[in-house]
Amino acid sequence: MPLSDTATTEEFRASANRHLWLDNRDWTQMEAGGEPIIAVEGDGVRVTDSDGHSWIDVNGGYASVNIGYGRTEMADVVYDQMAALNYMPQRSAIPPTVNLARKLAQITPGTLSRSFLVSSGAEANETAIKVARAYHHRNGEPGRYKIISRFGSYHGDLGLVQWLGTRPDHSTADYEPAYPGMVYAPQPNAYRCGAGDLSPSKCAVRCAKAVEELIRFHQPSTVAAVIAEPVTNDGIVPGDEYWPMLREICNEYGVVLIADEVTTGFGRTGKMFGLEHWDVEPDIMTVAGGMSSSYMPVAATIATTVIADRFAGPDSLFKHVFTFAGHPVAAAVALKNIEIIESENLADKTAKVGDYLKESLTTLIADHSIIGDVRGIGLLLAIELLSDRATKAGLDPVMDIPKRLTAKFKDRGLILPVRGNIVSIAPPLTITEPEVDEIVHAIDLALWEIEGELGIASFA
Amino acid sequence: MTTLSKTEDLRRAALDYLWMHNRSWIDMAEHGEPLIMVEGDGIRVKDSEGRTWIDPNGGYVSVNVGYGRTEIAEAAREQMRKLPYYPQGTTTEPLIRLAEKLAELAPGSMERVFPVNGGSESTETAIKIARAYHKRNGQPGRYKIISRRHSYHGATGGVLSMAGSGEGDRSDYEPFYPGMIYAPQPSPYRCELGGSTPSECAVLCANAVEDLILMHGPETIAAFIGEPVSSNAGNAAPGDEYWPMIRDMCDRYGILLVADEVICGYGRTGQWFGMNNWNIVPDIMGTAKGIVSSYLPFAATVAKKEIADVFAGDDNYFRMTNTFGGHPVAAAAALKNIEIIESEGMVENSARMGEYFREQLRDLQQDHSFIGDVRGLGLMNTVELVSNPETKADFDPELRVQERLGDKFYEKGLILKPVGQFINMGSPLCITTGDIDEIVNILDDSFRELTAEVPQVLN
Repeated sequence: MPLSDTATTEEFRASANRHLWLDNRDWTQMEAGGEPIIAVEGDGVRVTDSDGHSWIDVNGGYASVNIGYGRTEMADVVYDQMAALNYMPQRSAIPPTVNLARKLAQITPGTLSRSFLVSSGAEANETAIKVARAYHHRNGEPGRYKIISRFGSYHGDLGLVQWLGTRPDHSTADYEPAYPGMVYAPQPNAYRCGAGDLSPSKCAVRCAKAVEELIRFHQPSTVAAVIAEPVTNDGIVPGDEYWPMLREICNEYGVVLIADEVTTGFGRTGKMFGLEHWDVEPDIMTVAGGMSSSYMPVAATIATTVIADRFAGPDSLFKHVFTFAGHPVAAAVALKNIEIIESENLADKTAKVGDYLKESLTTLIADHSIIGDVRGIGLLLAIELLSDRATKAGLDPVMDIPKRLTAKFKDRGLILPVRGNIVSIAPPLTITEPEVDEIVHAIDLALWEIEGELGIASFA
Repeated sequence: MTTLSKTEDLRRAALDYLWMHNRSWIDMAEHGEPLIMVEGDGIRVKDSEGRTWIDPNGGYVSVNVGYGRTEIAEAAREQMRKLPYYPQGTTTEPLIRLAEKLAELAPGSMERVFPVNGGSESTETAIKIARAYHKRNGQPGRYKIISRRHSYHGATGGVLSMAGSGEGDRSDYEPFYPGMIYAPQPSPYRCELGGSTPSECAVLCANAVEDLILMHGPETIAAFIGEPVSSNAGNAAPGDEYWPMIRDMCDRYGILLVADEVICGYGRTGQWFGMNNWNIVPDIMGTAKGIVSSYLPFAATVAKKEIADVFAGDDNYFRMTNTFGGHPVAAAAALKNIEIIESEGMVENSARMGEYFREQLRDLQQDHSFIGDVRGLGLMNTVELVSNPETKADFDPELRVQERLGDKFYEKGLILKPVGQFINMGSPLCITTGDIDEIVNILDDSFRELTAEVPQVLN
């Protein structure tokens, strides 16, 4: 029976579980657990479901809803552009794509100036890798194809980029064979920097030098690019030495430096772009999520003039096409979104409220031995859970804590999926201090409860 | 500011900041390009200087319902007002309605929908499902993918390695993904294996697939991927034997059949899906473009129930994250788009107009001997140009035939460029006989001018 105009929540849910394949979810368990939640309205950090329950989206839709829910002015932007011209292949230009590319050139660091518009972060990273490899071909160095990424980083789930970085909560064995030429460097995570505790600075230096060693081991003539997020989705902020050293190493060995700003871009870390914390200019930058606050699927790969100009002539074209690339409606929405981020000073606000949120989360450490680390910058924060602070051993899989804790959060009105040992906290940038208090209080209570149930000593 | 100066401002900014598809910004600057497009209606678009253009290729063969359907804009606006996005792990009503609609339209038991943002993502997802499926079935050794030469399945790492024209277009991106097997394209006009009829070519090409399977060992092969009709190969529909033979072979050897319906889907071939022309139910299909007529970025991978069910249960879930996948506003637009295709009988119109289009193009063939072949299915059609009907060879590059034709089309207001020897036209499904006559007249005039300029093109 098809869904009627007046279908009930239960009917929607049954249909969803029969026909929809949601990211990383299993429909048999969703069905048993009365899921999925069906979201129907949103405002700020809150979303209302079809049963009338109000939820706080603590992770802001994969850390992407930067301007928050409920910006109804976006609806008119969509209508106006779609009614005028709904689409045009990127062989012609359309005012919103031109204006978006111009805006990106203005607000990105240094000479980053040419934008290849795409529709997702993964597409943006795939595009960046293609630009890097093709760039070396045009420079007479076709042997440069290897890509260095870091353990614990994430760059998307498509054919090539799914092999960059490593997943914290599952392996990629399902998708073997691996893509050729993948090289893995250590993550500059001071909390887990090899054996023993290292200061963030020492960890940063050690991890940057490891990149250099890998380049030398593989021979610079085989290495195309290094790709890294300024701050990872798990809130790992490298020591201040890391990025300047990476920049210098890439320059020395002729390796293209790609900054994946898919999560960190557009105010998320308290600056417009993550690398502004260290005044480093990458050769290629990828952006997505925050560029439209997920109001539309739109993303971009932005290259410096030096890189892009290798592709300028008719015989040097970058051969790469996506049908939906440079979508006029998505571009119009992104432009409006950036205007809101700028006019409401959301990057500055993020720095302040992010500090407050991080401090509040840090106070939980004293009460909950299950918390190993609270880290991050701006509103890209994470709590790392563990079973033993002395050994830093991860959670005991038998206890099933990620799933239980996700359920506890849900009981308290938080949508906050726990992945592996990580609780990612990346709400909309418009969050207020009272909303922060509400979230932290709910997390505190959820932790007390689970500790009580599982007999985990609370006091550290 | 006057209109002209605004156009000039946008044009300069486009040249400075935009990385357009397969275009040189040095070249464009010299020719007063790019065009700045501002409006659309049906098969026509208008630029910022007020000139109207016909888009016979419908925006990379994607704008199935045509430009300017404001009811889709209304549907998108309404959803955007309610909810622009959704929290991780939840879903939304328009997406559920859309998934249900796709399950209804898709053949057989294809009823589980993984939403993504573009055609490449939909085929990447299909391949990931295929490989992960075999792992769950205790056959982790099945990883190879058979695709066909001259096909096209997308621009991202995994699918970029499939198919391909073999003309060096992809050498920039070496090395490719391991485990790629390339089969012949069942293109009757140029049968690689020498078949002299569509049927003969189909059987030879299907048998070649079986040879490849046996050579590699079926236990190493995960999937076969193909477009029902390959646009990239010049819209050459295979002989009727081809797809039934491939389906049968996949069943016999435990190989998943992935249909790339990115172009063929949603009425393009005169049926809802391209495979319906041969009553074939694939195991997985990738769809994009026509699913939303490019009104927003949206795409979907659809799998048979039997395939998807292997991923049910706690530890079996399909490990893939896609932030924008299943976007509620895009889903609302897609839903309205499909409603328009259905309520306005556009699938049937596609079949009818396709026939008419090819008839008119065949008439042109009488007057222009360098038209080697006219072919297609529904509204994906191709005129193939040859310097010699015997050898079917391309023209002497010094004659610059393709460039001249492209320029003539441009002068006459047609957004159309020959691709190698092909003139491909995947027009909006709302096209009328009047529109077709207008396009065919422009082609006719352009061909006449070409002949006058370069008499050597006649054979």
